[in-house]
This record gives sequence, structure tokens and C-alpha cells, in this order.
Amino acid sequence: MSKIILIIFISMLNLMADEAREIIKKLDENFRGKSIYMKLEMKILFMGHERSMKMQSYSEGTKKSFVKITYPPKDKGITFLSLDGQMWQYVPKIERIIKIPSSMMLQKWMGSDITNDDIVKQSSIVEDYEPKIIKKEGSLVTIELLPKENAPVVWGKIVLNIDTKSYTSSKDIFYDEEGKEVRYFIYENVKKVGNYYIPTYWRVQSSDVEGRYTEIFLEEVEYDTKISEEYFRKSALKRFSK
Amino acid sequence: MYKLILKLAWKNSFLRRVRTLLVIIMIAVSMSMMLVLEGVYDGLVKNMVDKNKRSQSGDISIFAKEYRVSRDLANRIKNADEIKAQLQSTKGVEAVVLRVKADGLLSTARKSSFASLIGIDLKEEERFGKFSEFLKEGVIDFQKQGAIVGIELAKTLKLRIGSKVVFSTQDIKGEINSIALHVRAIVQTTNIGLDKGAIFIDINQAHKFLGTTSQDAMQIAIRGEDRELYGKLKRAFPNLDVKEFLELQPMMKMMQDVMIIFNSVTFLIVMGVVFIGIFGVMYVSILERVREFGIMISLGMPYRYIRAQIFLESIVVGLLGYLAGAVLGAILLIYLERYGIDLSAFSDALEMWGYEAVIYATIKVSYFTTTFGAIITASLLSVIIPLSRIKKLNPIEVIKADK
Amino acid sequence: MFKLALKNTLFYKGRSITTAVLTFASTILFILYISLLNGSHKSMLENSLKIYTGAIEIYHKGYRDIGGNEYLIQDVKAITDKLAKIDAIEAYSSRYETYGLLSNKEHSAAAMVAGIEPKREKILSSLESALREGSFLDENSANCLYMGIELAKKLKLGIGDEVAFIGSASDGSFAADIFRVCATFKTGSFEFDSSASFITRSYFDELMYAKNRASYITIKLKNIEDAEEVNSQIITMIDDESLESLTWKILMKNMVESMEIDAVFGYISLSLFMVVIFFVIMIYGFINVSSRIKGFGILRCIGLSKRDVFLLLFYEILILTILATALAAPIAAYICYYYSINPIVIEGIADMYKDYGIISNEIPFDFNLVTFGWNLGVIYLLNFLSILYPYMYINSFGPFEATRHV
Repeated sequence: MSKIILIIFISMLNLMADEAREIIKKLDENFRGKSIYMKLEMKILFMGHERSMKMQSYSEGTKKSFVKITYPPKDKGITFLSLDGQMWQYVPKIERIIKIPSSMMLQKWMGSDITNDDIVKQSSIVEDYEPKIIKKEGSLVTIELLPKENAPVVWGKIVLNIDTKSYTSSKDIFYDEEGKEVRYFIYENVKKVGNYYIPTYWRVQSSDVEGRYTEIFLEEVEYDTKISEEYFRKSALKRFSK
Repeated sequence: MYKLILKLAWKNSFLRRVRTLLVIIMIAVSMSMMLVLEGVYDGLVKNMVDKNKRSQSGDISIFAKEYRVSRDLANRIKNADEIKAQLQSTKGVEAVVLRVKADGLLSTARKSSFASLIGIDLKEEERFGKFSEFLKEGVIDFQKQGAIVGIELAKTLKLRIGSKVVFSTQDIKGEINSIALHVRAIVQTTNIGLDKGAIFIDINQAHKFLGTTSQDAMQIAIRGEDRELYGKLKRAFPNLDVKEFLELQPMMKMMQDVMIIFNSVTFLIVMGVVFIGIFGVMYVSILERVREFGIMISLGMPYRYIRAQIFLESIVVGLLGYLAGAVLGAILLIYLERYGIDLSAFSDALEMWGYEAVIYATIKVSYFTTTFGAIITASLLSVIIPLSRIKKLNPIEVIKADK
Repeated sequence: MFKLALKNTLFYKGRSITTAVLTFASTILFILYISLLNGSHKSMLENSLKIYTGAIEIYHKGYRDIGGNEYLIQDVKAITDKLAKIDAIEAYSSRYETYGLLSNKEHSAAAMVAGIEPKREKILSSLESALREGSFLDENSANCLYMGIELAKKLKLGIGDEVAFIGSASDGSFAADIFRVCATFKTGSFEFDSSASFITRSYFDELMYAKNRASYITIKLKNIEDAEEVNSQIITMIDDESLESLTWKILMKNMVESMEIDAVFGYISLSLFMVVIFFVIMIYGFINVSSRIKGFGILRCIGLSKRDVFLLLFYEILILTILATALAAPIAAYICYYYSINPIVIEGIADMYKDYGIISNEIPFDFNLVTFGWNLGVIYLLNFLSILYPYMYINSFGPFEATRHV
């Protein structure tokens, strides 16, 4: 008898783990589709004043993405290409393509609270972490992501608050190894685009730094429209800069 | 006859007991102080040189031609395993290790820092330079993506045993790769570069991570005291950058030179003054006994016996001083060799120069032999002038003289 | 009593000469040694101060530990206006340092690019004298970069070559530009030479939105010894909790500590010499006294007190010491003075070391009257101490016992 209960219990655990994995997968799909095009505005609050940037982003799968800055005028035309874990940047002012070396990867991207690493390693949420449901309230699920033993990620854990109606998160909290909060993402204004749901307002903030955050407003989102392969070549950096 | 002279010399030495004792104490104190000074200075330099050789450069290191200018994966030695085999059968080579290195970024959730990933073979490093002796905390072990970090790097990133870190760098194809590593041990090599920026992992893991093969290495480090080895290797590998320890660590070369000069100057000054001390005492003691010697000469004792007696006297004094100094010095040195001098008050600066906070003395037989030579020489020289005065004496006049 | 002492010193020539010569030698040795020690430390310090670090530097709190745009000084002018009023300050300048990527086709490297005021920097630091090739920056040198020679080597750049810079401006926004390598420098410090480059502020400020902002303000004093005093003056004057003003003692803590160690070792060796010399002088004094025991006995018999005997010995050594130091002091002073103006230059070896990080091959002596004074004081003290034992020895004999002593 007890054996049967144990078996049921174990299989339930498995089910739950599978369920968690399923949720994370769907969440991840919502963020990228097969391919995704976004037009967005980024606002950065830094030392009491706000800076605004606009850009267009094209990405396909987890390994290819292309970003082009459209505003402010002084940065217009700067393009980024990340491909298979490498990252290049083209700056029209200096007419150069620069490969971002590994030592610069954890630099803040364009002065925001997002690092180059965040952009390049988007995929890792599914591959590098073991998800576990820690709370369930109706359609709201809290999932804890613990890094797999040898996953090359710095976070001690990530806690996501997901609405399973839309498979979008409302808040992701990143912790260090000792379990202390380091930074969090907040997502709001979920919108349905085709078969996908996506929050159109994001906010990134460090947990212990006041008066400094980065906000992202999605102005346009298109899923699974065939993005030309042209965007994911080094030649695109210059070509689509204009 | 000589037995008698020896006896006389011994007795005469203690005729003026306090005086002789003062000279002996002088020799003993200054000699032991000097020995300690030499021992500590030598210890300082030796320790530093030794640790540097063991932890990094060996006696000779070989790099690819461009590597030291541009530490890039492209500038690696591509047939390192062959060279290693060749070196191992070269006469004069005691140990060889291959090392794989890559510069990149080491990060935790909160902080990141530039660091050098160094792939090593623990067993070989142990043979090469007793790597385990650098251990400060934890266990030396690379199991399950284990890593060993330098003590200063650990401080910068607030790492502890068990901490997880991520190292990112470009692999051989130029792709940026990351690897998770678990800190198993913290080491202090007192080699500033390593303590501040090194993270050691297993060499095979490093190859896998960087996409290199076991034929590749950034550095081949060689132990071997043979003086001709350097020239020989330089000729054998004209297409590689063969560097001797002192070329790689010129600061150390300078320190060594300065210490040698310094110790010799100290030695000369101290021995010079010691000589003046012995000279004064011997001079007075001989002149006091001019009458005595006059009587002995007029009784038919040949001058050479008197000379022998005086020489013996000064040697007795010198020898006793030397023995006292040697014993005292040896005791102090042995103490300092074992327990060292604690200079933790200056630990920041010491570490910056690669010293340890506790300085241990070295003991070399040469300290004792050179001082022995110097003191005996000083003793002998000190009686030459008084002796020449005696030789000139007319015995009859001496006895007559009322002094 | 003094006359008797004078006669004695003239009579016992051997002892007098040896004592005087030894005192002479030890005085010279002592003074020169200390002077060399202090002098080399001072030059070490001055050399490092000259290269880049100022005698005093003013930072926004947090810049030194954490760094980044949050911790920049936001109003440089407000501070420098105040600094201009302090007399002891010879020169000041602000610097804007940032880390960015310098890139030349295939090669890129993270490096420090610092905006400096070339005119002021010429007075402040020896950056200009580290010039290897090309010509130093000036106010109108625009995008000219003054680059560490090792960095130039790493990036495979020569004079006139262009190099791309990307980094972030003082407001966090993106900054990129093309610089031109106009000159290279070599300070001898590998770390510095392989990671630093300079550009004129007038140009850099536009790119970085850094007008009136600075990483720190560096200050050169007329006299480095006033650092502490001037620093407290600066702190009261700028009166701003968010700023910190630090002297070289803190800015270069490592160097200060290593100089202290060096001094400790130096004093230990010196005390060794002094101990040996002290012993010898004492032995000579002792021999001298013991040959005069009879005389002392007689003196005591005719009514001299123990105190008188001590005085006699004291006068004797005093005469000898004065004689010796009167000769030694001017000679030592002259040597110190000469070498403080014309430092000893280690030829040959220095050339080799200079390539590796020894910035100067000059070892000047230090000429300082206070040091001089206490050095002489120590010599006198040692000589006085050396008569204690002989004096005690005499007193171990009673007056009559002494007269019969052979």
C-alpha cells in the first residue's frame, strides 16, 4: 500500500517538475516565438535624469538577434548583431564594426541595467535551470529556477511569478549565491499578439540601488513573420544601419 | 715546546680577563647580529625567488614568440607535448609542466573582475613546485569543475570555499564561452600576479573549454639548475621565446643584486671594526709585556717562539669570540628559520612586493665559514704591527727600562 | 678637572686617536647612511608622485572603491576656485578617467582613457617626460591620443594610426569616436604603460559630456611635507560631505608601507654597525682606564670624589667626541649636500632596470638639519654610554687598593 502511495507521490513530483518545465517553456516561447520583431522604447533613469532610446529588434530562435538604434539622433544607426554567442557592434559615427570581447560582456548595455550578457544568453533560462513550482494560486504560479550543477550562470536562483492564463511573468527576482536579492524585472500590460502573449511594459531595477532603473515599452511586436536571413549576417551591421 | 707555548698563550689571554672577555663579547655580539641580518635578508629573497619559480616561471619558461606581447590563444605553442617529451629527456631538466592560459572575465552575481584562467596538471605541478604548499584554505582538488583561486582575487570577488563563479572568454574559434567553476581552494603564492588574478583549473578541462588540444600550451615551464641549460634550450628552440627566470622577473634580479651588495658591505664594515677592536687589545697587551718578552729573548728563546705565542694568543681570542658568536648566531638563526619575524603590520606592502608577512631566515654554511675566515684573519693581522715593534727591540734595553 | 682631562687625552695618544677616528668614522657613516636612506625614499616617493598620483587628490566618496559615473565630481569649478586661494598649492588639475574599448581592426583592448589638461599636467606630473615618440598633447590637439607604449604594441598601433574608441559617456549614454595616436609614452611601469592613454580634456569633454565633471582633482604642493596641513585646510575649505580629500600617504599606502619596511631594515643594519663601534670605543676606553688605575687611586687619595672621577672620564670622552664630530659633521654635511643636489647615478645597471619599471636611476641624499642633529645626538649618547663600564670598573677598586694595583 505504502509503496503505491510512494509511487504516486514520486510520479506526482515528476508531473510537477514537468509542469514547471512546461510553464517555463511556454513563457520562453512567448518571449521569442519562432522569430520576433519588436519596436521599442527604452527609458533609463540615471542620477536623477531620464534618457530615452528607441530601437528595432529582430531575432530568430535563441542564437540570432539584430538590434538597430533609431533614437536619439546621435546614436541613430548603431547596430548590434549577436550570433552563436558572439557579439558585434557597428557605429556609423566611426564607421567601424567592433567585436565585443568577453571582458566587455558584463558591461551595461548602452548604459541600461541590462548587460550584454543578458542579451546574448537569452536561451539559458530553459537550458541552464531546473524549475520547481513553489506556490500555486489559481492561475498564478510561482516558480523557482535553480541553476543546473555546471550551468555557466551567476545567479543563485531566479523566482518567477507567472500567470498560466497567458504564460507571462509579472515579476522575476534574481538572487545571488547566498540567497540575497540582486535585481528584479517587472512586467505589465500583457497584450495578445497572434497566438502569443507578451507584456508590453518591462522594468529592470537593482534591488539595493535607489533612483535608478531601466524601463522598456514595446511599441510594436510581430511574431513569426519571416525575418530575412540578411539580418543575421555580419554585413547587416552596416547595411541596415541606415 | 709548542705545547708550552699554547699553554702560555691560553694563560696570557686571560691575564687581563675583563679585557679579553670584552673583546670576545664584542666579536660574539656583532658577529651574531650580522649573521642574523644576512640570514633574514637571504631568507627574504630566497623565499620570494623560490615561490615565484615554483608557482610560475620555473628556472626557464618557453612561450610562443608573440605570446608575451599579446596574450592571445592564437599565440600558443602548437606542439607542446612533443617539446615536453623532448625536454624530459634533456640532461639537466628536472621537471617540466605545460600550462594553458586564457584571460577573461570572472564573475559572481554581484561583481566581476578580470582574471586569467590557468589550466594545470595538479600531479605534475606538485612535482614541479609543490603546489599544495600554497594552499591557504580548502582542499586542492579539481573534481567536478573545481577551481583554485588566488587569495586577492578571492577577496575582490568575495569568494569562499564552495562559491560558484563563471569564467567567460573567447575560445579558439573566437566564440565567447562561459564555464561554471566551483571554488575548492584558495591559494597564496605571494606571486602578486597570480594572487590577484589567477584561477586554476584542470588542464584537460581548460582544453575542452577553450577548444585547444593536449598538444597546445601557452607556457612550458622548466625546473633545472644547470647553468648551461638556458643556452642549450635557446639554441634548440629558435622559433620559440625561451626566457630565463631573471629575464621574466627583473625586479627579483635587482633585489638579489642589491642584497648581495648590501650584505657584502655590511660584512666588510663589521669585520673592519672588529679588526680595530682586536687590534687595540692585542697591541696594548703586548706592549704591556714588552719586558716579559725581553727577558724571554735574553734567556735564549728564539723570536719565532714569541711570534708563535702572540699569534696563538690572538687566535685564541678570535676563536673564542667566533665560537660564542657562531653559537649565539646559530641559535637566533634557527629560531628565525623556524618561527620567523612577524611583519604583519606591513602586510599590504609586503604582499605587493611578493613577500610574506612572516619572514623566515635561511641558514647557509657559508655564513659561518666566511666569518670564520674573516675573524681569524682579523686576529692574525691585528698582531702584525705589535710584533714588528717587538722584533726591533734590544732585549737588554728592554729589561733595563723601568716600564 | 677639564684641564686634567685635556692633558690625559693628549698623553694617551693611542686611545685618543683610535676613539676619535672611530667616532669620526661612525659619525660619517651614520649621517650618510641615514641621509641616503631618507633620500632614496624621498626620491622614490617623488618619482611616483611625479608620474601620475598627486600629493593630494580630491574624490567624490565611493569613486575609489566602486567607481563609475555615479561617483564623479559634478562641479569641478566650485572646488578649483577654492583651491586657487590656497598658497601652498603649486598646481592642480582635474582628470576625467574612463574605461572603454580601444579597437584597431582585429585587435581590441579594454583600456583607460583619461581626459587631461595638458598645460596643467606639464607642471603637475612627469607624463610629458615619459614621452617616447611623437609630441605631447596640447589644448588644441583634438582627438590626439597619448598612448602607453605597451598598449600601442598590443593594439599594433604606430604614430598617426587611427583607433576606435567605444565606451559610455558621463550620463551613461553611448560614446564612440575615432582617435589618432599622436604620441607614445613609457613610464617604466608595465601595468600603466599597457593600459593607459591620454587625451586633451577640451576634446574629450564634448564626447563624454564631462564638462566641469571629473573623476578627481589632483594637486601638486610647493612642498610635499605640508601635505597633511594643506589637506586639512582643503577639507575645511571645500566643506562638502560627499567629497574626500586624500594625501599621498593614503593614495599610495603600499609604497609608504614598503618604505617603512625598508627603513626598519636600514635601521637594524645601522644599529649593528653602531653596536660594533660602540664596543670598540668602550674597549679602548676600558684598556685606557685599566692602565691608569694607579693614577685614579692617587687622585682619589688626594681627595677627588667619585663624581670627580666620572667627570674626568666624561670630559675626556667629550673632548674626543667633539674633536671627532667637529671634523666629521662638516664633511658629512658637505657630502650629503653635494649628493642631494647631484644625485648618485647608477650607470649601466640602471639602463637595464629602467626598461622594467625603475623609473629613475638617481639616488639622491637627503640634506636635513633636523636629521643631522639627532644623528649627532646618538653619536654623543653612544660615546657617553661607553664610559659607564670603565667608570664602574674603577670604582670596583678602593682608593688604596687602586694605588697598589699593577
